[in-house]
Amino acid sequence: MSATLSTFSDQLADAVERGARSVVSVHARPRLPSTGVHWRDGVIVTTEATVQRDQNITVTLPDGRRIPAELKGRDPSTDLAVLSIPTGQLPVATLGDPAALRPGHLVLALGRTGDGGPRAAFGAVSTTGGKWRSWKGGEIDLRIQSDLTIYPGLGGGPLVSPDATILGINSGGLSRSLATTIPVSTIDSVVTQLLAKGYVARGWLGAAMQPVRFSEAARAKAGIKGEGGLVILSVEPDAPAARAGLLVGDVIISLDGAAIEHPDQVLELLGGSVVGRTLKAELVRGGKQEKMDIVIGERPRRTR
Amino acid sequence: MSAPLKEVAAERVKASVVEVLQGASAGSGLTWAVDVVVTAAHVVRAGRLDVRLPDGQVREARVRLADRERDIAVLDVPRLGTPAVLRRDPTELRPGEVVFAIGHPLGVRHAMSAGILHAVGPLPEGYPGSRQLRRLSWVQADLRLAPGNSGGPIADSEGRVVGVSTMTVGGLALAVPITAVEALVRARAA
Repeated sequence: MSATLSTFSDQLADAVERGARSVVSVHARPRLPSTGVHWRDGVIVTTEATVQRDQNITVTLPDGRRIPAELKGRDPSTDLAVLSIPTGQLPVATLGDPAALRPGHLVLALGRTGDGGPRAAFGAVSTTGGKWRSWKGGEIDLRIQSDLTIYPGLGGGPLVSPDATILGINSGGLSRSLATTIPVSTIDSVVTQLLAKGYVARGWLGAAMQPVRFSEAARAKAGIKGEGGLVILSVEPDAPAARAGLLVGDVIISLDGAAIEHPDQVLELLGGSVVGRTLKAELVRGGKQEKMDIVIGERPRRTR
Repeated sequence: MSAPLKEVAAERVKASVVEVLQGASAGSGLTWAVDVVVTAAHVVRAGRLDVRLPDGQVREARVRLADRERDIAVLDVPRLGTPAVLRRDPTELRPGEVVFAIGHPLGVRHAMSAGILHAVGPLPEGYPGSRQLRRLSWVQADLRLAPGNSGGPIADSEGRVVGVSTMTVGGLALAVPITAVEALVRARAA
């Protein structure tokens, strides 16, 4: 009879059942709990925005037990938070490769909100893309957006493929229109940093700058190949830029061997694991090219 | 590939779905037994109402019982003639199973919307919705309902009805479990 549809239906239900073995509910805010994924043994990942307190956090496991969890760290820029629980409590998530996703691929969102069984939503991938920066400044390896409805409580839960592998974590906070998923590789990297330090360190120069274009005359006089650079508008005292000797009015034309014409390029450079590294800078000062070494510092953290 | 949803499951259910018309309001209803239609209580008031069959014919109907809390009404419809729906206990369903609704959303007659089962049972503690809503057990489905779907069926991939559409909360479709309807009909018959 309707064997095709029933088979498809069973496959989806199997994917929900298998995927949900590593999905917990997270009690870290008033009223409605959110969802979390058992990412590594003893490590639960959820979305940062749903962790509204630092203490008295508990998680409900698939077998119904509710156990205490400890907040290990949070990164608002990628909307991720990491909790620890005792090891060996439940299976670790089976991770897939979100880079293989294309628009049209069918996906599930899973949640566990409270003591009950899993909750599921179904849809299709709408758009995919490369690296992007969230409105909170975090660098995310892949853009994955879908038409899934992230019902209340499903935030922090996994994006699951029909073969039950987990491709990322769904964030309610990163975009308003389409559901946005933080991909596996970004989560892996943030989890490692949060477990080590409790936060994600980001590079810091301590200088304000804006794009500027050179006149033909200036280019000819100083022998500049590029069309423009970034002019320094201010330098914070004792910041890495100040310690390196950068002055207001200097124009940076290259950093770490790459031509620089837009502040986003600097932000991108500072987003990675660059803290403590010495970057070679080329700049124009008083109409002449100069070279400078800048030791990148760690961006001071605002207290929450 | 064949189109089994359209040809088997949806067609079978559609044959049992009627429109419930009273004044300006229109809802959906499903054939429960010979000359008996089940719908949502909030689409009917006491008094005379009409039921339109899939072939367009109209029959007069009378409200036999209406449970406002559970939002289920049972109508007597002489010379109804439509086949009773097949039923399945929704607690046998697994989250992720394909389900579909048939009704008349926004006046579009016999429209189908498909999705999956989200969960069966009460809404989670802290979920949006009134306290009364959260006290009851629901078939919760990830599919689109609109005004006019109320009282219509939500069925599994083989066309067995598991719930009667009531409303959406936070985008989630809520339906009265068919087992609760059975209990209601039995209790009032006794």
